[in-house]
Amino acid sequence: MKNSFDEKILEEAQDWLSAKRNVILATVTQTWGSSPRPVGSRMIINDKGDFSGSVSGGCVETAVVRECLGLLKDKKTHKKIEFKVSNESAWEIGLACGGEIAIFLEQIN
Amino acid sequence: MKKQLLKEIIEKKEKKIEFAIVTDLQNGESCIFEKNKPIDKNFEKYKDKIDLHFRSKKDGIIEGTNIFLETYIRPIKIIIVGAVHIAQYLVNFAKSLNFEISIIDPRGYFATEKRFPNIKVINKWPKEAFEDIETNQNSALIALTHDPKIDDPALQHALKNNFFYIGALGSKKTHENRCKRLKEAGFKDDEIKRIFGPIGIKLGGRSAPEIALSIVAQLVSETYKK
Repeated sequence: MKNSFDEKILEEAQDWLSAKRNVILATVTQTWGSSPRPVGSRMIINDKGDFSGSVSGGCVETAVVRECLGLLKDKKTHKKIEFKVSNESAWEIGLACGGEIAIFLEQIN
Repeated sequence: MKKQLLKEIIEKKEKKIEFAIVTDLQNGESCIFEKNKPIDKNFEKYKDKIDLHFRSKKDGIIEGTNIFLETYIRPIKIIIVGAVHIAQYLVNFAKSLNFEISIIDPRGYFATEKRFPNIKVINKWPKEAFEDIETNQNSALIALTHDPKIDDPALQHALKNNFFYIGALGSKKTHENRCKRLKEAGFKDDEIKRIFGPIGIKLGGRSAPEIALSIVAQLVSETYKK
């Protein structure tokens, strides 16, 4: 449920499109355990690698950007990705909180 | 998602329409769902399930399908009575929280465009002003003038129209007097008790931005109790 406190990510995506950028929308579709952001949380990524919004507390955003750039390169329209708990080593991609999340990536075309 | 769909979504958000974005996670197709309206033919077979999920107002994947639903409910409308110093800070918080705000103040020297750029400022007495604003149980009232002539009619309107949040600035003593007046006007005790007075959660601060923050904190917290 999005109420009036919605983060206006879609509006920002619109602005990026107007600026002739390729935009990928990343949406949290499922969560298990304690995940930092709820289902429906959003992030947008463009072909320059700029991103806005979030799908975690900063744990997996860099990996999501990488996946999105890959999606653009492969000329794919959508993809489902999942992240699980990270191991102890620093900078490892994953969720420090022990949760799991599924994210849907889709190109706005 | 198609560019055209994104455009329609943003328009619906602006128009405060209740809807859902429906996405097939298998093939990447998406569409808009609105209650009692025909749905995109690609999603026709899921219509009943989507409708049921939409009523629960939850985001998520519909069980047993690859259909993801994101629901948008009508945003909250906030009416501030009193174009005072605190209101200027409330407007700032409102920008990041995406509230829809209207300010009512019959005093022309307070209610100016210059003090509140890009905000709907209604330079009328509350009784007339409420004729221009549609209000319901998604509305909130923040009364800031602590002048009974201005605040009281607004509070009465909010109580009668079942606003989900009603708060009034002023000390405990001011609030006691306010409650007495409302009782005399025919309101019952449990109705009057719905008013948060003194307004805001206890932060300890007395400056205008601190009071604005304490009001916004209380308002957001009440939103989730709805």
